[in-house]
Amino acid sequence: MWIPVQINENSAEPLYHQIETQLRSLIISGVITEGTLLPSIREFAGDLKCSVITVRRVYQDLENEGLLRTRQGTGTFVSHIGDGAMEEYKRDTVGKALESAVDIGRSVHCSKDELEQIFMEIVERKYRAKE
Amino acid sequence: MVQMAIELRNVLKQRRNKTIGPLTMNLPRGYITALVGQNGSGKSTLLNLLMQLTNPEEGEIYWFENRYDSGLPLELRQTIAYVPETSITEENHWNAEEAAQFRQHWYPNWDESYFQDLMDRFEVPYHMRLSKMSKGERRKFEIAAALASRPSLLLLDEPSSGLDPFAWKIMIETLLKYMDENNATIIISTHIVEEVRRLADYIMLMHRGELLGMAEKDSLFGTWTEVWVQVAGEEELAELSAELPGGINFTMDTPGVASFIIEQFSKNEKRIQDLGVKVIKSRSLELDEILGLWTQGHRPILIDHKRGD
Repeated sequence: MWIPVQINENSAEPLYHQIETQLRSLIISGVITEGTLLPSIREFAGDLKCSVITVRRVYQDLENEGLLRTRQGTGTFVSHIGDGAMEEYKRDTVGKALESAVDIGRSVHCSKDELEQIFMEIVERKYRAKE
Repeated sequence: MVQMAIELRNVLKQRRNKTIGPLTMNLPRGYITALVGQNGSGKSTLLNLLMQLTNPEEGEIYWFENRYDSGLPLELRQTIAYVPETSITEENHWNAEEAAQFRQHWYPNWDESYFQDLMDRFEVPYHMRLSKMSKGERRKFEIAAALASRPSLLLLDEPSSGLDPFAWKIMIETLLKYMDENNATIIISTHIVEEVRRLADYIMLMHRGELLGMAEKDSLFGTWTEVWVQVAGEEELAELSAELPGGINFTMDTPGVASFIIEQFSKNEKRIQDLGVKVIKSRSLELDEILGLWTQGHRPILIDHKRGD
């Protein structure tokens, strides 16, 4: 199975963290479904041009979080994801995205009211377009 | 528990006009280690020592945690494959088929169907004398024959020299697949950055006969970042460099923009911002730049494997 993880070599974020974050969100958001067999550590490392040490660390972390399980001799699979994890993930990713938007707003000296107004405008526009 | 494929203890090799060593290193089993360094830094000598094609004047070498001072036993040799920098001449008068027959005699794990499969994939002619082959064809034969012996330890001395990009890609994929399916260990001496990126788990740097150390690849590639910042002038840049003791090469690039190189940018980024300095752009250094800094004494985070860690 090919996993759509995109590495940014120039990012300050450590490689294992980039891979882990993206793989976690692919699993929790359901892009990679329960029971999927992930690539072997060596195969994934080859795809991502990283070392097996990094991939092993990512698999181990996500296994500890209960997102993956490893069956001796067969490989690493995606586990069942509970609704709680899904909710938490939603809050987490949306929260992070908004936080960086607010940071950008502050860096160009937006007031709180201005930010709220921009936010509401975007929400209105996007949700109206959908309905 | 980590098992060692190779261990060197203060290994010293005297060459006519230079000294290699003392070399001390531990190479864990199951990984691909890229051996890098300038021409003449001692990479091939190190590989020759591991094949006992040459013996050290001082120090100890361990293969799979054993010493064999009076010669590598046959059973061990049969698990080691070596692609030397220049092919041996003894097989020159044979074609690939005959050379394979000869090797099959010495390597009990010889996998003939795997050999033929690799030869087909590489499109190497079977019935041409090895000495008549082009450099690339000969190289492909050597790689296929080395793998067909199903080694536990594979030593590759610049294996891709002479390979076209298609053959190169097949070689990379083949080596990765071999590692995936076998608990093997590969040491590959190379100058090709992309080869290191695609294959290596660890990087070992040699410089003027000395081993400068071993680093985990991803940690090494993330070590240094070049950062461009907005500063008013030399004075402000001097203040900034005083606040960043790990930084080097502070330079004014154009009026208002300066650049420098810093370690562990992920940790230092916030510090720079807290100083009120705007980061315009950043990029990770390339392998050649990293190795350049390393040989100048800017050491990255090194790994020291201990038996049984």
